[in-house]
This record gives sequence, C-alpha cells and structure tokens, in this order.
Amino acid sequence: MKNQSSSKSAPTGIVLNIQRYCSHDGPGIRTTVFLKGCSLRCKWCANPESIRKKPELSYDPKKCTGRKCGLCLKPPFPEGAFYFVEGSDDNVRVNWDLAVDCDETHASLCPTGALEMFGKVMTVDEVLDEVEKDSSFYRSTGGGMTISGGEVMLQPDFAAALLKEAHDRGLNTAIETACNAPWANLEKVLPHVDTMLHDHKLTIPERHKKWTGVENKRILENFKRAYETFPDTEFIARTPLIPGVNADEEHIRAVLAFIRPHKNVIDYELLPYHRFGLGKYESLGVVYELDDYKTPSDEVVERLRAIIDEAFGRSGQTAPAQK
Amino acid sequence: MNIDRRRIAINVGAGFVPGMNAVIMGTALAAAKQGWEVVGIRDGFEGLLQQDRYPDGGLVPLSPQLIENLDPAGGGILGQSARIDPFQVRTVNEDGMVEEVDMSGDLLARLKAEHIDALISVVGGRGLSILYKLHRKGLNTVCIPRSIENDIAATMVSFGFNTALSVTIEMLDKARQAAQSARKIGVVEVLGAQSGWLALQAGIGVCADAVLIPEIPCDLRAVAVRMKEKISPRRPYGLVVVAEGAKFVDKQQSKAQKPSLKDSLSPLATGDASDHVIQRSGQMAEAVAERLQLLIAEETYPLVLGPWVRGGVPTAVDRQLGLAYGAGAVRALNAGKNGVMVAFVPPDIKFVPLAEAINKVRTVPLDSEFIEIARSLGIFLGREI
Repeated sequence: MKNQSSSKSAPTGIVLNIQRYCSHDGPGIRTTVFLKGCSLRCKWCANPESIRKKPELSYDPKKCTGRKCGLCLKPPFPEGAFYFVEGSDDNVRVNWDLAVDCDETHASLCPTGALEMFGKVMTVDEVLDEVEKDSSFYRSTGGGMTISGGEVMLQPDFAAALLKEAHDRGLNTAIETACNAPWANLEKVLPHVDTMLHDHKLTIPERHKKWTGVENKRILENFKRAYETFPDTEFIARTPLIPGVNADEEHIRAVLAFIRPHKNVIDYELLPYHRFGLGKYESLGVVYELDDYKTPSDEVVERLRAIIDEAFGRSGQTAPAQK
Repeated sequence: MNIDRRRIAINVGAGFVPGMNAVIMGTALAAAKQGWEVVGIRDGFEGLLQQDRYPDGGLVPLSPQLIENLDPAGGGILGQSARIDPFQVRTVNEDGMVEEVDMSGDLLARLKAEHIDALISVVGGRGLSILYKLHRKGLNTVCIPRSIENDIAATMVSFGFNTALSVTIEMLDKARQAAQSARKIGVVEVLGAQSGWLALQAGIGVCADAVLIPEIPCDLRAVAVRMKEKISPRRPYGLVVVAEGAKFVDKQQSKAQKPSLKDSLSPLATGDASDHVIQRSGQMAEAVAERLQLLIAEETYPLVLGPWVRGGVPTAVDRQLGLAYGAGAVRALNAGKNGVMVAFVPPDIKFVPLAEAINKVRTVPLDSEFIEIARSLGIFLGREI
C-alpha cells in the first residue's frame, strides 16, 4: 500500500474511526477499528465515508453558520468550492467537484467544525492504545478488537501488524471483509485472525458485478481457500439483505450449500438492509445509488433466518442489523 | 491557435433531453460553413476514455452528408454517459479492485492525439463545473446549457426546458381530466429540485388550483382553505402542482419530508439538508396529498410525472434553440472565446465565462412576472406573501 509507512517499527494506516462497545462485530463486547478504502462499490453501502482510500472532506450543514461566517468562500479555500445561492437562503453550498482538493488544512479553518476530514493516519500503537481502554470488557465478555472497513485487505501490512500486536497483547481478534483482494493480501492478514466475518453478497457473478462492481469468482475462491488454509479460524458468513437484490431463498440456499461443507464456518447471519448511512452520502457529496429501495420486512427476514437455522440444526436466533 | 482549419469535437453530458440532434446539427452545420471538421464523442467522454468499448470507434465523424440526413427531432446520435466526470472514472484495477481514478490528463492527451483543439459540451449544472475544471487544466471549451428544470442561472432558457414544459402541461391536462372524472384532488409532482420554473409555468399553462414551488415555502393549511373555496358541487375536483423540491413553512409539516439524498447528486443542491429535502421521486406528491387530505373533506391522490417528461418529441422552440446554441458555440470559438457557456439573454446569444456560470441557481424571484400572472389567474402559490 502506498499510504503505509515502509518503517517496520511503526507501520501506519488510514483509520476512519474507532468505535467502542460494539456487540455485533464478533464475539463479546468489542472495539471496531474502521479502515479507509474499499475495493467494492456496493450500491447499498451504509459507510460511504469508508469507500475512498484517502482522507476526504465532509460537510455538515447543521453545524454551519452560513452567511454569518463565510470563511470558506475566501482563500485558501479553492475558488468556487463553496458558495451561496442568491435569493434562496443563508446556507453554504458545496461544489464537490471543486472542493475535492480540500484537506486537513482547510477543514481546520472551519470555526464550527462543519467541515472535517474523514480518515487519519495512525500507528499500530496509537490504535491499540485506544482499543485497550476497554480490555476489562473484553475479558468479561470474550470480546476483543475487530477490524472493519472499507476493506481490511486494502491495507494488509497495517492490518496484519495491528492484529499481530493485538494478539501479542492478549486480545481476541476479528475482521470483517468481503475478500475482494489478491490471496497474497489475505495470507498476510489471516494468520492473526481469530474470527473472520465475511460477506456473501450475491450468488450470480453478473448480478454480483452489477451491484458491487466486480464478479464474485475470486471472492468465492478466497473464501474457500481461507476455510481450508486456516482450519482453526472461525468463520461467520453474512449477507446484507436487500429486497429486490438478494433477499431471496435461492441466494440463501446457495450460500448455505457453499459454507456448510466447511465445519469452521460456524454461523451465517443476515443483516437486514437499513438506510442509516444515507445522511453520510450527503455530507460527502457522494451519489447514493439505492435511493428507492426499502428495508426488508420482518416476515421475509424471519423466513430466511428459519432456513439458516434449519441448516445449522437449531431453532431461532436474533441476527444483527446491517452494518 | 489557427482558426482557419480546425478540428473540433462535441459531446453530451449526463441526463437525457429530447432533441439533442438539433444541437449537434447546429454545431456541425456552422462548423462546416467555417471549413472545420467536427467529430462527436460517444457517451460523454467514454468514446475517448474507454475506446475498447467501441469497436467501430469512439468518435463519430459528423460530416455534412451525415448531418443532412439527421433528424433534428431525434434523441441524439452520440449517446450519453451516466456520469461525465473524467476526474473520477470508476474502474477495476489490475488487482481486481474497484477504484475511481483521475483520467482528466488522459482525456486531454487523447484530445490532443486526435488533433481536436476545442470541445463543445452540452451539459447541465454539474457538467458545467466539471468542464470548468477541465478548462482550468487546459481544455479549450464552449458549453451549451441543458436543463429540464431551467435552473442554470446564466441563461434565460436552457435547452430541453421548453420540451419538458410542453410535456408537463400535456400530462397535467390528463391528470386534471382524471381528477375530474374521479371527483378528487390530484396532487401532481413535477421535476424541480431547487427551482420551480417547470411547476409554475406548467401550472399557469393548465390554470392549476395551486402550485407549490421551492422558492415559496407553503402552508398546507392555507392550501386547504383555498381548495375548500375552489371546490363546489359544480366543480368537485382540483389540481395541485407540486415541484419535487417544494418546502413547507413549519417544522411539523416538514416532518413529511425526510433527509435528502438526491441533493447530493448535484453540487448545486448539496448542503441544505436541514430544511430542503427530497427523498425520492414521488415523495413530495405523497406528502402533500396525504397531509392535505387530513385537512379537507375531499379525497386527494398523488401522481408523479418524474422521468416521463424526459422523453418525447422536442418542441419547435427547443429545436430552434438547439440549432442556435450549436451554431452559437461555433461562433464563440470562431471569435476566439474559450471557457465560456453560450447563453440566451433575449434577444441575444451571449457568451458567459464558466467561472460565472457555475454555482448559481436560476430560481423564481418573488417579484417575477410569472408569480404575478399566476396570482392574476387565481392560482394559489402555497401562502400569501
């Protein structure tokens, strides 16, 4: 990765967020470290701020004082990046095409924090110092640290260093990944992972490409190879459930057929699609491509969960919502 | 720059507008008269940036022979892309990972390799910003404004608006007949995220009972009072035209609206999430119809024109405007203009620097003659001013 330090003593990565007290990202209470950059473009993505590799500007109109301030209309802000619409209101508008070059320097000039950067460079120690604040919770609940994204495998050296150091400090480790990366990346990361949560988004290759940007051949190969190469790692399959896209029995049964022969795939969770991430698209000036889709009904979710429960030989479970 | 013998290109930005061939014809005919060669770039910039998709070439020579046989009422022989942004081209890299890459440098290099020394782009509000960025990077360009909502401030009329207006009026007529037949109040949502020109002018065209536009936040209680006055046993129906970006005066009514996403599509619309919200096509018609029905005895029902008005046959006005804009863009290049947008400022065609054309929205002024006309016709505009 270009954005990672070559120094072995202090590898760095671009971290989007460190979220404490997570209960759906692996066993127990966990702290989830979100890395920036994704190798897919899922149209339903709830974390658009994690998609681009580089740190990027965001704008929160609720924090902006608008015309009263107007600092962003002057240098050093790029010409035309921020503006008002005459005859409308006092709110600042962002021309995202011209604001794309803004960086931390610009964001720091905003007195109200309406402008801020998503993503910052951190070292392994900086991340783990934050993660270890909740060590007592991890011990009492069987929790630990989870690395999510974006895509973990886009920063394999940093992720591997972070996970290894976490292990060295006695922390349980988990990752959330879609595995759309070369196997070499997975090979670096997976030896340090206790639990891998991984997405089976769609079954049919061309439909997978339509909704995520790439076909799923390599992804499925990576899953299978991971199951077989790391027999002591626990794998949890997941599907973000979107009506009209993949919330159908055929997909669920296809995933079950894929995972059930592998005994280290211990569970299959459904993550009903939600629209919580929508506001973030606006603050980033990013197009949300799934605007007209609705969340799946409870009936559909329960019916599909029943199929999974039956395949795993149990009766009923409560799966978490989509991340 | 040698303007005696030039090779210029034309392309079309995102968003379909009927009658694009008229602009292409205007450009090609005017260029041919100058002795210039014109090529069309297929599908925005894709004909140049993704040439492998076009076995027969991403560029279309727009010869006089081809143009002679072109139907000016046609939708456009060059096609268009979903995005016209060479600064963020979505691609799959050699590692099979999706990423957006800046191909603006490649674009300029390929234009140069094709000996194209100027580009005429038919674009909407966001396209203007992107062409402005390309111009700052060295592209010689003249833009032609295209907007169904007529919200580009630097021109009085954008290409495509008149046809959209015509189709909207035609559809509103049908909606009113349906309302009359059903003895209900039809609430019809028309395009207009930020500016209410289409709703207002079409509403005037059909003498709607009420027209709700983003520029005048509406009070649904006042609308209800007015509808009660208008509806009688002899006239047991009504027609309310609502722009998709209409606003409400009070917060309680605003609850019908949810945080916007479509706003983020356009730099012109971004950043006003707290009180200017559009969730999806049809949301506003549903919100108004539902709330209005709670305030009056009559039944209401929502209808959504949305993308229907993007199709059809261009009007005579748009055909003329398209030809004029195409020819005007060539005239601009011939006059040594660069980095400008062709604008219709009656009675003249003018050339406005792109830096002045971007970041401005042509909204309906409250003292507009159209507002006065609507009021004179008894059309309620959402609240008394």
